[in-house]
Amino acid sequence: MSAETRFGRMKDLPSTHLLGTGTAMCAGCGGLEALHEIYDVLGARSVFVNAAGCMTLLSVYPFTPFRGSWLYTSMASAPAGAQGVRDALDLLLARGALPPEEDLQVVTLTGDGAAYGMGLSATSSAIERGLDFLYICYDNEGYGNTGQQTSAATPHGARTATAVGGHVGWKKDLFAIWCAHRPAYAATVIGAEPLDLARKIEKAMKLKGPRLILALAPCPTGWGYEPRDTVEVGRLAVKSGVFPLKEYEDGRVTHTKPPHPRAPVKDYLRLQGRFAHLFEPKRDEATIAEIQAAVDRYWEGAG
Amino acid sequence: MFRIRFHGRGGQGIKTASQILGSAFFRSGFEVQDAPRYGAERRGAPIFAYVRADRSPIHERGVILRPDLVVVADESLVPIPAAGVLQGVTSNTLLLVNSPQTPELWQQRLKLGAPVLCLPVESEGEDRAGLPHIGATCAGAAARLVGVVARESLVQAVEDELAKLGADELEFNLDHALAAFDAFSRHAGRVQEGAAIEAGGYARPEWIDLEPDAALFAAPDVEGAATSEGAKTGLWRTLRPVIDYERCNRCSWICSTLCPDGAIRVEADHTPRVDYDHCKGCMVCVAVCPPHAIAAVSEAGARAEESPA
Repeated sequence: MSAETRFGRMKDLPSTHLLGTGTAMCAGCGGLEALHEIYDVLGARSVFVNAAGCMTLLSVYPFTPFRGSWLYTSMASAPAGAQGVRDALDLLLARGALPPEEDLQVVTLTGDGAAYGMGLSATSSAIERGLDFLYICYDNEGYGNTGQQTSAATPHGARTATAVGGHVGWKKDLFAIWCAHRPAYAATVIGAEPLDLARKIEKAMKLKGPRLILALAPCPTGWGYEPRDTVEVGRLAVKSGVFPLKEYEDGRVTHTKPPHPRAPVKDYLRLQGRFAHLFEPKRDEATIAEIQAAVDRYWEGAG
Repeated sequence: MFRIRFHGRGGQGIKTASQILGSAFFRSGFEVQDAPRYGAERRGAPIFAYVRADRSPIHERGVILRPDLVVVADESLVPIPAAGVLQGVTSNTLLLVNSPQTPELWQQRLKLGAPVLCLPVESEGEDRAGLPHIGATCAGAAARLVGVVARESLVQAVEDELAKLGADELEFNLDHALAAFDAFSRHAGRVQEGAAIEAGGYARPEWIDLEPDAALFAAPDVEGAATSEGAKTGLWRTLRPVIDYERCNRCSWICSTLCPDGAIRVEADHTPRVDYDHCKGCMVCVAVCPPHAIAAVSEAGARAEESPA
């Protein structure tokens, strides 16, 4: 990595953490893992606009893990809320009521239910307006806070509370949808790859305009694995090619950590209770092969 | 009316225990209420669930304040005020604790004059939150202790509630529920039905109030930063990560960065320190440490070692 980053190696990662402990996220939450790593790079000079979801529970009055303000919105309107906060800050700056060095980063934080579904229209128009904000989606591939019902981010074959025999649809490619809007920056990250994550947040912080971060959030509760395996599940999502780490900038998508060689997807699926029906009592070779083929196709296309 | 409260941790099947017992009462001809109560719906976090059963329609609502039977699936919750295990316990309340200790020791400790029974613990030292059968065991024991539920009704109730999990799970839970039901045959009917509660007849229970949390935690400054640290999520933990500093190679980032809660900080000399007030016991650090310098030990055991009494 070039000298442009202060995160040249793992040892450059922050060793004390800005995000407060004591939150109500589950033990082993992959979303919280990503968020606390992001927050260390982002810093305290930020306002969070949080759509309804698991992370609604981060800031329950009178407690907050953040060092700055937090605004709660309905599920579909976090980017609209961010617009309001950004406008207010801009007005204060224009009037000289806020010195430029005290300006804040406006950050939208939503789960996949809001990002892929209900809030997508608001996101689309915020990018269209060129809103200067950072959007973080913690994607645990289902409506986790209410018992893991299917969302538009649920992968093919996964069992959810509303797809008991396994989800028949396919995970929506939100990253591609974001990129089609030509934002200033978009990237996928995962807590299990903290250096890659830190560099991307650092880069996003240097840019203006819409910057969107999609964080895969391994979820012990919703995905059915032991909390201790959060990092293992996350690393396998990357190694198997199921979750490509990439970034979009200047009209181009670059893969930042392409897996060589790719681990078979079954290694990733096997760890999770939501895919257990693909292995027991009878192996569902057809579905496993379908999932593998979709991943292979993606990487052939990625060249 | 029977009023029964189950206490445990998220993941132990406490909600299911109350559903099984509720169903068993219902199948025995009772009017029934059952409901769970929890703050964060999180594995390891304290949860309780309660059941009311009566032969005539039940008009009482809300949390049970005067339980006739309190079942505790995880003994480490008893001394935690926030878990409310002892709320409303009087000398007429039967306590059933899942504990390797003796009932006599519990009676001595609690000084409530309440009768205590203990569930035999099968696998001491393991992750108690992980015991998959403990909910069914608690339900089976409670069904026997109230004395009015037939074995057959319990079998039907377990089937009602757990058939959806598949034949293996059902059989596993049924075995445990029935084993507990049979184990408490000597104590059948020990639970005394409480009288109807009159609003005018409220008397303060004879207990010693524990210190409330400091006012700072109850109402921290709304503009304060990271005030969530006032919430001690360390009480969720059933396993404790313990760093062996001889083996730790001072990598300075792995456990600290990958800890989902950011509950491990690294000191200037690269030594990692776990914040046990907030560590939820997910054991991610144990799984990721390259030289395997972090061990998962039983929280109850670690606490006992800290204060041998």
